Amino acid sequence: MLRITGGRVYDPANGVDGVVKDLCIEDGRVVKNVESGRTINASGMMVFPGGVDVHTHVAGGALNFARGLVPENQRVARKFLHGGDRRSGIGGMTPTTFATGYLYAGMGWTTVNEAAVPVLSAKHTHEELHDTPIVDKSCLLLMANNEIVLDLLEAGDLERARHVVAWMISAAKVYGVKAVNPGGVAAWKWGKNASALHESFEGYSSLTPAKIVSGLAQIVDDLQLPHPLHLHCNNLGVPGNVATTIETMQLLEGRRAHLAHLQFHAYGGDSWTTMRSGAAAVAEAFNAHPNLTTDAGAVLFGDAVTITADGPWQHLLYQLTGRKWGNLDVENETGCGIVPYVYKDHNIVNAVQWAVGLELLLLIDDPWRVFLTTDHPNGGCFWRYPEIVQLLMDVDFRKEQIKKLPAAARERIVLADLDRQYSLYEIAIITSAGPARSLGLSRKGHLGAGADADVAIYPEQPDEGGFLFSYPRYVIKAGAVVVEEGDVTAVTEGREFIVQPGYDSGIADFIRPLFEQAYTMSFENYPVEIERLKRPEQITLRPAE
Amino acid sequence: MITLTLKNAPHVPLEAEALSPDVMATLSNEAIRALPVLLGKRQRRLDDFFHVEGEASDELAIEGDAARIKWIGRGMTRGRISIAGNAGMHLGAHMSGGTIDVSGNASDWVGGEMSGGLIRVAGNVGGQIGAAYRGSHTGMRGGTILVGGTAGLEVGMRMKRGIIAVRGLVRDFAGLQMKGGTIVLGSGAELRTGAWMMRGTILSLRPIPLLPTFSYAATYVPTFVRVYARHLGALGFSIPFEESDGAYRRYTGDTSVPGKGELLVWSPHGA
Amino acid sequence: MGGKITCTLGEVKNRADFIVYWGGNPAECHPRHFSKYTLTQKGKFVPLGRKGRTMVLVDIRETPSARAADIFLQIRPGKDFEMATALRAIVKGHPTDAQVVEETGLTVAQLDDIAHRMKRARFGVIFFGMGLSMTRGKHMNSGAILTLAAELNAFTKFVCMPMRGHGNVTGADVVLRYTTGYPFGVSLSRGYPLFNPGEFSTIDLLVRGDCDAALVLGADPGATMPQPAIDHLTRIPTIVLDPKVTHTSRLARVHITTAATGISAGGTAYRMDEIPLPLRPILRSPYPTDEEVIHRIRTVVATKTPWIPQPLATMANA
Repeated sequence: MLRITGGRVYDPANGVDGVVKDLCIEDGRVVKNVESGRTINASGMMVFPGGVDVHTHVAGGALNFARGLVPENQRVARKFLHGGDRRSGIGGMTPTTFATGYLYAGMGWTTVNEAAVPVLSAKHTHEELHDTPIVDKSCLLLMANNEIVLDLLEAGDLERARHVVAWMISAAKVYGVKAVNPGGVAAWKWGKNASALHESFEGYSSLTPAKIVSGLAQIVDDLQLPHPLHLHCNNLGVPGNVATTIETMQLLEGRRAHLAHLQFHAYGGDSWTTMRSGAAAVAEAFNAHPNLTTDAGAVLFGDAVTITADGPWQHLLYQLTGRKWGNLDVENETGCGIVPYVYKDHNIVNAVQWAVGLELLLLIDDPWRVFLTTDHPNGGCFWRYPEIVQLLMDVDFRKEQIKKLPAAARERIVLADLDRQYSLYEIAIITSAGPARSLGLSRKGHLGAGADADVAIYPEQPDEGGFLFSYPRYVIKAGAVVVEEGDVTAVTEGREFIVQPGYDSGIADFIRPLFEQAYTMSFENYPVEIERLKRPEQITLRPAE
Repeated sequence: MITLTLKNAPHVPLEAEALSPDVMATLSNEAIRALPVLLGKRQRRLDDFFHVEGEASDELAIEGDAARIKWIGRGMTRGRISIAGNAGMHLGAHMSGGTIDVSGNASDWVGGEMSGGLIRVAGNVGGQIGAAYRGSHTGMRGGTILVGGTAGLEVGMRMKRGIIAVRGLVRDFAGLQMKGGTIVLGSGAELRTGAWMMRGTILSLRPIPLLPTFSYAATYVPTFVRVYARHLGALGFSIPFEESDGAYRRYTGDTSVPGKGELLVWSPHGA
Repeated sequence: MGGKITCTLGEVKNRADFIVYWGGNPAECHPRHFSKYTLTQKGKFVPLGRKGRTMVLVDIRETPSARAADIFLQIRPGKDFEMATALRAIVKGHPTDAQVVEETGLTVAQLDDIAHRMKRARFGVIFFGMGLSMTRGKHMNSGAILTLAAELNAFTKFVCMPMRGHGNVTGADVVLRYTTGYPFGVSLSRGYPLFNPGEFSTIDLLVRGDCDAALVLGADPGATMPQPAIDHLTRIPTIVLDPKVTHTSRLARVHITTAATGISAGGTAYRMDEIPLPLRPILRSPYPTDEEVIHRIRTVVATKTPWIPQPLATMANA
């Protein structure tokens, strides 16, 4: 039992805006009152629901591939020393599994959504999540380039496609559906891409990215998955991709969808020399489409590692920069591309990218629909989120940073004209309450009775030279105090949320011969055994009749 | 002057980055003796292994066979280390100033990613001297490494600036992926010299096998060689430059990248 | 800087029309590679099967794998790096020195032909084996092939994959990477992972005598390593966990017989393309599994004074 007393509580889901009140915890949940147990005196501190990262890359084949590509990053990254029940590890841009849990918890983030999982290597993802301590997890399954599904969509057999998708979700033991560069990753199997929403692509004749997007959005809604289709739009990173993004939003009218890392999809201009911010147009369209949520995918200056299923984009980045390049195509399903990268404040394109993420966060009206991410580690590392919070909350600080940008960049952005400042209440929404709601995790992101007791307690003023939110004084996970005075003091094990959608049991017989043609392993070995997950929590769904 | 005499040779490698002028310059004798060193996984005191005389100096004299002692002079910015004996891996890695002298042999990674200063090893060295650590884009960015004996693999790998001069034979991949700077091969090298180089100069005083991606350009004595000869001569390393003695055959490459590096191979008259 | 451009084996099965085996002998070392993944299967996009594919074998001698090849390039020993580097130039249309090229045992015309075929392939793949990765040049030989494949993507779809050795070496690589950040050669002596091949890799540690105890699991260094390494293993306390009494067992202080993984012990293995596969044991064994033995050792170690490494201010970040 635990009582947190004297702290200023921010709980937007329950309308609590900086009210000094007690918070009581028992058996891992928030309760109305406790009679005994420990008391934490949180006077002079702020009490937030634990952070929820709706889009990050922390576990599985792609991330592990990246780890191997960048030993020089690991060498200078933060070190986690072995000791007690603390395992050793490396932080940095591609943290090792144990370190990932310590880093997130150390910041006050308690739920993490791994955004890209192939079915074929889902066992690997679960193995890594199994070794990621403290935080709760969910994952999203890559579907928009799964050729068994694409063939069905091309044939117009949406119903069967729905059963296949449901079977895959069940086989992979995941929480939701991810679409990356629909059609483009399939085309990349032949070295091509899919840049036009309404044109077919290599390997297909009538199927278009638009039809994949609509088809999958409908399937996800029909399956009543708690989280909408999570979509990485076509033409990521391409100057002028504003048009694709807005057109995609129009395609999704009448459906739920979550647009991933919107910053990378909000560029105007038509070439690298004319590239400029398109955030205003994208934000305006987004504001007009209340069925959508998004996450920022903001860029921070410094080192990053781009890891994405968008293979063709990564080949281009490799050719543009001459940096290291990793690529792994996954049979039938998807692929990944990796290019370690550095965002430089004197580089005009990078400066525009930096501005666009912030512009979107400031121009999108409803904080319940836009969430704080950097598409870790693509735009920057998750443990730098507090820097973005400062840029959102402090317009003077923000304008100082804008002055440091090259003049040519400042002409291409609107950020200097934006005076909006986020309040703490709004920060609590974009880092916790909003993403929790979007993920459909009803016990996360709030501090009302019945909520999971995931709480982050921060000083009201940051440490000297530091950022607010970098060093919580206390972090509580499922009612256990896991971080005290910036140190992980207890290592607990989180849960993994999975969904079990309904599907026609005969669909496995449909899949089997297609599987045997496309794959090179035994069908019996394809699904993930539930025993591989540590503390799974399953939500059983019924499809719409 | 601080004198450190090895009294117990470590039976597994000893990691001793504490052996640096920057660390010891302001410390008392007692504090120096208590400096941490790592014997495998066990943290020990410096004086478990060394007699220590002197204090608060940026001149260190190390005596004894330190072949198993790693990271001597790591990151140093000033002062001097003289080793009467051998030295272990990573000697002078990341250093940016000061001088290190070794009377015996050193191991791999001498001057790894250094950016300034001077390292002189009278005997042989291992591989990866002045090189980039694994995965890193750039090796040595400045400074000088002089070797009296032989050297191992990947000498000057991905170096960007600075001079490496080796009197004895060098093994494969000298100048691998070089980006700039100069390597002098006093006795030539084995295979794959200059592999994938982008820029920089490799000067060999003996004929060397070439990769198929290098092509002959000209025979002459480039002017800068005289300048380098004077500079290296002052450091005790001589390279020929008199037209009466011979000339350098210049090869450009590596076309596989493509790179604009050069190999200058000394061709004495009458050869 | 190059990179690693690869795919899972199903992609090769269904798309590859140009397959190169370089420095490996799959007919004998990966006996079902041709039939399962690369040559004989009818692929979704290679409906003619073997007839729709060209296979090139590059090796220093004509092995049984050469019988399956359409083109056999007999390269001189120790010339793989030169050949790959020359191909990188030729593919880009940059000059090479014909005379030096011919020292590889192949002519410029042969290399031009291969480069042309690679660029014209619809989907090319190079599999490289220990004939490359374990001969003079080592990781640079591997790097040369990988970089060549990466650069061919400017012209067509091209991937590259190492032919991994026996046992679950890929699994060990994967797990080490996600727990320590590095695939092999990891030192934990400082309390956190450090990586440096040549410093912390096994053969080098043993040859230099840099360790004072050894635990050997699922490997037989006593059969394969250089004599100085074997001598050192004999000198220090060496513990072996293996289903069989191996060469290493015979020089070890302790040998513990364990159940054979995949036959009597379960778990997960990673295939050479990093796909995880469950192992389903079919026989019972009287011996404990490797995992059980390690747990029991750890339980005893836990009763000793705990090792709590301290951060050292002297080792600041680079």
